Amino acid sequence: MADRSKLGMEFPVYSIRVEKNKIAEFVAALEQKEDTEQIHPHYRDADAAKKAGYANIPTPPTFPTSHVFWTGGGLLGTIKAVGADLTKLLHTKEEYEYFAPVCAGDVITRSMKVVEMYERGKKEQKSRYMQVTVLQTDMINQHGVLVIRARTTFMERG
Amino acid sequence: MALVFDGIQIGDIMPPYTSAPITRTHLVRYAGASGDFNPLHHDETFAKAVGLETVITHGMFIMGIAGQAITSWIDNRWLRKFSVHFLSMTQPVDLNDYSNTKDRATITVTGKVVDKYEENGETRIRCELTARDALGSRKLKGYFVAALP
Repeated sequence: MADRSKLGMEFPVYSIRVEKNKIAEFVAALEQKEDTEQIHPHYRDADAAKKAGYANIPTPPTFPTSHVFWTGGGLLGTIKAVGADLTKLLHTKEEYEYFAPVCAGDVITRSMKVVEMYERGKKEQKSRYMQVTVLQTDMINQHGVLVIRARTTFMERG
Repeated sequence: MALVFDGIQIGDIMPPYTSAPITRTHLVRYAGASGDFNPLHHDETFAKAVGLETVITHGMFIMGIAGQAITSWIDNRWLRKFSVHFLSMTQPVDLNDYSNTKDRATITVTGKVVDKYEENGETRIRCELTARDALGSRKLKGYFVAALP
């Protein structure tokens, strides 16, 4: 069960470069394409992206999830840090606020902290008891601009 | 024609977007692309050990499909907020029983404009959206906010 003393905990800060091939791979997965030449041109062709008004190839809306999973020990590292049990975990809510575009070549620094931890239900009723944890991640680009704020909510069954 | 704020009315429908039936191969591809290697999504032995019949789709994969639905309609540079609740699990299609299992693994995203307003010096719309499988089961619900010129 998540360790309530972790409320307010800040994770180590990590930086990751946004690679154009990673964007194409991510979009190919979402669009269920066999290769990256079949995806929307904005996501694979810098000239097409620039014609559409971007500085470079843009990132799709849920791409920030990869900044969290590919740093800091990935999912298991994050789960371990809050003392949660992977076998009881449910991802219940995800939210993004977008303040400025993120494109290929940007370097994103992510700062994540535990902003909420609370219980739902009563401990005596095991089937209905849940512990809720909310992580907030600020993503700042190489110019020091806050570009995305993510909030991830997960529940752990009792 | 590009979307503009004045061209959108409350009650307008977002063009529906439908995925291909999600296979285990799609889950593996998404795991590698996103870095979400929770074994629940690719390792049947783990899924069974935690009490599930089989592997389930990443919630974030379904949210990503909803994201493609949005950016097929509105250029993603105009997106300001995107928020979803996950409602139910999605099993992938079984290739040895395709016709009976494809509907549970085919996701359609629909949405509707529910508000138009000004905020932070921008003209914005708020659109509610839902993802359902082809059997009608809701997978996620949420909304997005976009600034339109």
